[in-house]
Amino acid sequence: MLSMNNLCKVFQSADIQTHALREVNLSVNEGDFLSVTGPSGSGKTTFLNIAGLLENHSSGEFLLDGENVGALKDSARSRLRNQKIGFIFQGFNLIPDLNLYDNVDVPLRYRGFNARERKQRIHSQLERVGLASRMKHLPAQLSGGQQQRVAIARALATDPRFLLADEPTGNLDSEMAQGVMSLLEEINQQGTTIIMVTHDTELAQRASRSIQIKDGRVSEVPPLMKRVIA
Amino acid sequence: MLELGLIVRALLRHKMAALIIALQIALTLTVLVNAVFMIQDRQASMARDTGVNETDTFYLTSRVFAPGYDYQSEIPKDLDLLRHTPGIIDAVYINSVPLSGYGGYQRLQLQPGKDQSSIIAGDYLSDDHLLNTLELELIAGENFQPEDVLIQDSNSAQLPAKIIVSRAMAAQLYPDNWQRALGSTVYVDENVPLKITGIVKTLQGAWHFWDQVEATIITPVISLTDAGIYLIRTEPGRRDELMPEVEALLAHSNKNRIIRSVTTLQDTRDESYREHNATNKILLLVVVTLVLVTAFGIVGLATFGINRRTRQIGTRRALGATKGQIMRYFMVENSLITLAGIALGAIGAVALNIYLVETFAMTPVTPDLIVYGAIAVFVLGQLAVLYPARKAALISPATATRMV
Ligand SMILES: Nc1ncnc2c1ncn2[C@@H]1O[C@H](COP(=O)(O)OP(=O)(O)OP(=O)(O)O)[C@@H](O)[C@H]1O
Ligand SMILES: [Mg+2]
Repeated sequence: MLSMNNLCKVFQSADIQTHALREVNLSVNEGDFLSVTGPSGSGKTTFLNIAGLLENHSSGEFLLDGENVGALKDSARSRLRNQKIGFIFQGFNLIPDLNLYDNVDVPLRYRGFNARERKQRIHSQLERVGLASRMKHLPAQLSGGQQQRVAIARALATDPRFLLADEPTGNLDSEMAQGVMSLLEEINQQGTTIIMVTHDTELAQRASRSIQIKDGRVSEVPPLMKRVIA
Repeated sequence: MLELGLIVRALLRHKMAALIIALQIALTLTVLVNAVFMIQDRQASMARDTGVNETDTFYLTSRVFAPGYDYQSEIPKDLDLLRHTPGIIDAVYINSVPLSGYGGYQRLQLQPGKDQSSIIAGDYLSDDHLLNTLELELIAGENFQPEDVLIQDSNSAQLPAKIIVSRAMAAQLYPDNWQRALGSTVYVDENVPLKITGIVKTLQGAWHFWDQVEATIITPVISLTDAGIYLIRTEPGRRDELMPEVEALLAHSNKNRIIRSVTTLQDTRDESYREHNATNKILLLVVVTLVLVTAFGIVGLATFGINRRTRQIGTRRALGATKGQIMRYFMVENSLITLAGIALGAIGAVALNIYLVETFAMTPVTPDLIVYGAIAVFVLGQLAVLYPARKAALISPATATRMV
């Protein structure tokens, strides 16, 4: 599914090397809901970016569905992102100039679906997140929780197998965070593999698997320990 | 187009910025088309054939201050001297030089009598050597014979029996068929008949700005004054070397002679069109400046728009946009703005031209110039946005998660 073997990421700027990830060995299976925790600057976003093909790793091996994606050209990586991966961001990252309908439309256009197919997908996704009635609204006219729901609709419109989320509830109050989390759980139950970076230990424990990153090193938190922490 | 609807709708959220640049493009097209048209107009008038050999010819004015100077007999002697000088092909005594701004004219009418409509023609007074001296191309009829030439004082109003006309003049007399002019009789001074015995292909008159500059006649008269013009053609390549020699020769032949303005036909032409050339340079400068300002305006606006949208571009990349698709986004966005500007500019160009035509009696601009102008402005817009669009395409997809 998704496996990393001895994967390292080094940021090289002028004269400093930052080892953001050190020898990561991890595999994520179909249907997993993986939470990622760790202190600030530990490498969580870096891990997610590499998993989501937003950044390349420096050494080691990264296989996505058995394919060595490190060797792919930028355009092929773009296509894979569009086909297999959905993203949710801490800041929602909706396009402010486009209404909700058009926001969800963006990845569908890149996929090259025809107008009818796009329309049908946009409607069903916006209905799923409960915002179909507001599709002519601009993102700025919505609350943070609603914006994140639109972002989820946009991420899922292309039917990705992976949903990657970097602090999806980081900008939300706890009530809205709960709503978004329930939505993610529902999506996971329908078969989408989810990797979610979070600071919130309570939310992290609701995932089926948890990893912790400290200083670029990944360690799996055993289920037992999870309960102990709880 | 993949994203056209989304691009249009996003653009409409930033109408002001788009409108300002569209207006700048419109203004550019308006000025560009009219300025280029004015440049072309001048270029075309400068490119007109004078019909004469301009490279091997020069002229000078000769004036003799001496009591009892008999120019009736002295001028033919001068001509004889010139024509027998080695390196000189031919020489004439003439009243005016093409494009010099100084010359004479005649009113010709097809019917004798008062109140007949007449046509004005630039008038060259010279002899049977003029065709050879200026290398004029005779396309019908024949040259004058030596006995056709009247040598007379400039105060005398006697007229010869024959004239040669330019084809343009012939066409003015006989619009349906210029060849009918040959052998026909025209009248000057109401009822003095002149027979057209020859037609030359082209011979421009003395005034380049006159719209009838091509309509000329040659009258076989040596109209003697104390300050006549000698027009000389040399063997190819010997003009510059012969100019001082001829000057010395003539000065030597008569101690009382004052020679002035030894000038080539080329210099006369350049002088005549100097204002045209200067105006064209200024117009060109205006066009180039305007085009550069517009190009930088587009680069600036695009760069600003891209910086404002850095996170959005990263997000689009994360959602699967390729570099090419990001680049295309900004190229298409620019072309929409440019096309709006072109539409306004085409209207502006026509409006400005109508104004210029009505106010300054200019000729109307041709539609193809507007089309070429529109294409040029469109290409300019695309070139200007190329670099910012390329920079946008290089924004990393990781920007989506790294920028909060
Ligand atoms: N482009 C970059 N160039 C250099 N160093 C970088 C770059 N991006 C990240 N880093 C460094 O890599 C390390 C890991 O960063 P990362 O963003 O993955 O941390 P994080 O766990 O997501 O932190 P946070 O919880 O604050 O979001 C940090 O030390 C960071 O400074
Ligand atoms: Mg982070």
